[in-house]
Amino acid sequence: MPAPPTADEAIGNEMFQTAPQVEKLAPFSAEDPKIIRTFQRAKRIDLMARWGISAGGILVIFCVVGMMVFIAAVGMPLFITPSVAKLSQFDRSLQEKILAVGVDEYLETGFSLDQRGVWSFYYMKDGKVFNQVTTKPVAKKNLQLHSIETYDNKIYSLLWADGSTTVTEVKFLPKFNEGVRTITHQINRIADFPAEQNQQVLQSFARISGEDDSKRVTLVRQLGNNKIQVIQQLVEEDLMGNTEEKNYSNDFQYPLEDPITVMTVDRLGNAVYAGTQTGQLLQWNISEPGEASLVGQVQAFENAMAITALAVVFGESSVAVGDEKGNLTVWFPGKIQKTGEPGPLKKVHIYDSYKNPIARLLPSTRNKSFTSLDEGGNIRLNHMTSERKLLDLSSAQPYRIFGFSTRDNGLVTLDDHNQISLWELDIPHPEVSWRTLFGEVWYEGYQEPEHIWQSSASTDDFEPKFSLTTLVFGSLKGTFYAMVFSIPLALFGAIYTSEFCKDTYRRYLKPGIEIMAAMPSVIIGFLIALWLAPIVEQYVISFFLSTLLIPLVTVFFLFVWQAIRENPWCKRIEGGYEFLLIVPVIIFGCWLSVVLQAPIERMLFNGNFQLWLYQETGMRYDQRNSIIIGYGLGFLVIPLIFTICDDALTNVPKSLKAASLSLGASRWQTLWRVVLPSASPGIFAAIIIGFGRAIGETMVVLMATGNTPIMDWSVFNGMRTLAANIAVELPEAPVDGTLYRILFLSGALLFLITFFLNTFAEVIRQRLRKSYGQF
Amino acid sequence: MDAISLDPNVHVMESKDLDFYYGDSQALFGVSMKIPRNYVTALIGPSGCGKSTYLRCLNRMNDLIDRSRMVGSISFGGEEINDPALDVFRLRQKVGMVFQKYNPFPKSIYENVIYGLRIAGIKSKSILDETVERSLQRAALWDEVKDRLNGTALGLSGGQMQRLCIARAIANNPEVLLMDEPASALDPRSTARIEELITELRGKYTIVIVTHNMQQATRVSDFTGYFYEGVLKEHGTTEQIFTNPKEKHTEDYISGRFG
Repeated sequence: MPAPPTADEAIGNEMFQTAPQVEKLAPFSAEDPKIIRTFQRAKRIDLMARWGISAGGILVIFCVVGMMVFIAAVGMPLFITPSVAKLSQFDRSLQEKILAVGVDEYLETGFSLDQRGVWSFYYMKDGKVFNQVTTKPVAKKNLQLHSIETYDNKIYSLLWADGSTTVTEVKFLPKFNEGVRTITHQINRIADFPAEQNQQVLQSFARISGEDDSKRVTLVRQLGNNKIQVIQQLVEEDLMGNTEEKNYSNDFQYPLEDPITVMTVDRLGNAVYAGTQTGQLLQWNISEPGEASLVGQVQAFENAMAITALAVVFGESSVAVGDEKGNLTVWFPGKIQKTGEPGPLKKVHIYDSYKNPIARLLPSTRNKSFTSLDEGGNIRLNHMTSERKLLDLSSAQPYRIFGFSTRDNGLVTLDDHNQISLWELDIPHPEVSWRTLFGEVWYEGYQEPEHIWQSSASTDDFEPKFSLTTLVFGSLKGTFYAMVFSIPLALFGAIYTSEFCKDTYRRYLKPGIEIMAAMPSVIIGFLIALWLAPIVEQYVISFFLSTLLIPLVTVFFLFVWQAIRENPWCKRIEGGYEFLLIVPVIIFGCWLSVVLQAPIERMLFNGNFQLWLYQETGMRYDQRNSIIIGYGLGFLVIPLIFTICDDALTNVPKSLKAASLSLGASRWQTLWRVVLPSASPGIFAAIIIGFGRAIGETMVVLMATGNTPIMDWSVFNGMRTLAANIAVELPEAPVDGTLYRILFLSGALLFLITFFLNTFAEVIRQRLRKSYGQF
Repeated sequence: MDAISLDPNVHVMESKDLDFYYGDSQALFGVSMKIPRNYVTALIGPSGCGKSTYLRCLNRMNDLIDRSRMVGSISFGGEEINDPALDVFRLRQKVGMVFQKYNPFPKSIYENVIYGLRIAGIKSKSILDETVERSLQRAALWDEVKDRLNGTALGLSGGQMQRLCIARAIANNPEVLLMDEPASALDPRSTARIEELITELRGKYTIVIVTHNMQQATRVSDFTGYFYEGVLKEHGTTEQIFTNPKEKHTEDYISGRFG
């Protein structure tokens, strides 16, 4: 309200109106070169400023886009299709039949083993043989090899025609001399198992486990008559340095009417698997020397098809099964719910089938993928868990023999026309697919498909589980509880300061609340995790009571106030001090909730709420839970939502409020019918901005959520959010590894979520603004 | 209402020794004024003379201003307005107001007109429909908007919006209509229509209009009060004020010597 004009002003106006024309009094000329220069300078500065500001704006946009591109570029290689390139091909026509092929990890030196036990080493680029080593049979006679078996791409069990077995290791030793790499090779004879009288041996499997001072060599032989023989040599060195060798041997038989068609043994020599003519999948435990027990027997195929190939997948608990119809499946023991011990084998993964019977299965030595070869000579590489087909090789000449380099980066094949080919494989992230990142995956040892995030564990053969869904869920859960806590408080606070509170107090209240935003989030995280969480744990019932009791007490107080407000003393308080009066009421409500905790806990929850919760619902009470996060994140976003809401409400034209009030509306009616609808675009924007802030917040959730990646809406559990996960795991992630790239991908996801949220908010806001437009 | 005869001696509102303060500065000094029923009373005076403040005292709209204070008495139909216990919401229903700048709600034309009825909790569709039609007809807007009652009010022209605001005010069935420079934001044609409308409403409602435009005051009002520096300098029939002012100051103002 302008002050009334003074008499002088009024008279001044009068004089101005009646005054004659003002004469020109400029003591300068616009043509003065000095002035012209000043104007030119102003123009130049104006131009520079315009360019500078435009450049700055473009730079900002460029930086944001560049960041996005960089983050996406690190994450994208996860989805590159595996590549396979043929490096060389040459002819190895020999009189002798080749049983095995292989290559070193630099893909330079290849080798093959023929039926006489001769290892030929040659340069892979042209196929020129430069060395040959012969492995002699145990009996020192001229014998042919019956069959060979290999594992780890370097240990070979050579089964001779007389039934004896020789175990050899092919080793490549790279040497670096002044930057020049030379590769030498060795054939180490590890163990010999002589033939036994009158014994027909069909297959033999040798496994070596343990260190030098406690070594175990296991030989499993498939004999005629459906018999399996297990020989175990234990070499132990005692403290005095004396070595003691113990030998065990036992055999067991499977009923003759169902012949065993195929067998395999795990890498450590602890389990024997066999498949039969009628499709029975058998599992024996041979981990105790001298003992063997049939621990699993399942019918693999309903229509009694023969099992033709078996392989134990890396990790030693899953077994890949191929049958005579070309079906390919993976089985592993499900957990028994009560004891947690492994149960019977279950069919878990099914892969694309071949047209021909499956001839051979070979597990990878580095991850849970396995290679299969069918009778038609096609080679495929599948990843067990992600069910991705990583490689599919087929040609006019069927492949018969294949072998990998020790690092799984090279594949050597031999086809029907004795052509040896070398393939370079590049499969950087075989375990990652859209399905493993976002869908439910049936991991080894689990009861059913689940969303799991577990990036590391103590063992080497552990399979990382990367479900981003759990993290997105965690982010949404934390944000949800934060919004439940903060939206009502911030919105009601803003309504109070903008509509009901006197301007005098608003001047202090608003900046006071805004100062909350300046609080470093690490302080909030620290306070709520270490100070608030234990208090809430102790007074959890009080907490729930207070959400009920404080409003009740307040409403009760308002009734009392209605009755006594005509009193002149009360009138004086009503002039804007109401908020001071409500403080003791809220404190009383809190006190009442604390006092009532013990009796209610006794009455309803048998005296211990957390125990009751666990017994009745199976839910655990975590100290760092969603209530805590609601408080902490809520505290962070309240000032943000409050300020924007308050501005939006205050910016509703006074004329609209006046119009409403002049028509007889109360303040509340005006608020509800005019102010809130008009301010709704701003309020909506405030909520979305608060949401975006909460979903991207890292420090508070990192410190106070417990970082448990579980998918459960329970308020008594914590969560792990996308942002906190990046903070937790990135320091541990090897650069350019799968985890590293997945973390970048989750960063891009977070970026996208906030981007879409903001865009969505802006679109809605524009729409609301159109319908509740201001003029 | 149409049948009520005009009697300049029947007063609907009367203020006695009314002082008004914005914080520490006094804006009105002992204003005593009688407002005759169903006539048009114009309040004139230079900017900041307190005429708008006085107008807002009549429906207690000044309450909204922080640290404002009213001393003295205003009676309205035998009731004291300057009483903290007064139900201001009922008062404002009976004493409607039209503002300088048209301010329709961002709602439909229909919802704008029945806003006061909604506030009062009237839900009957037939009453609402009838009120909309009668109010718009009385505000001379019905023919222009009857086909788009559910369209947004913000699509109307300035003059139409101001007439909508008048329709909104008279939908409440008020006894008094306060108009705070209702035509100052409008073009000459729209101004003429508003003035026409005020003339039509004369005799049906008591109208108090604040105006800067002295021609407007002579055209539409029956009585005129002249304010200067928070004081009611002169009050009488419009004819008397403009042709034969008692005060020299009034004469100076209406003859355009200042203002």
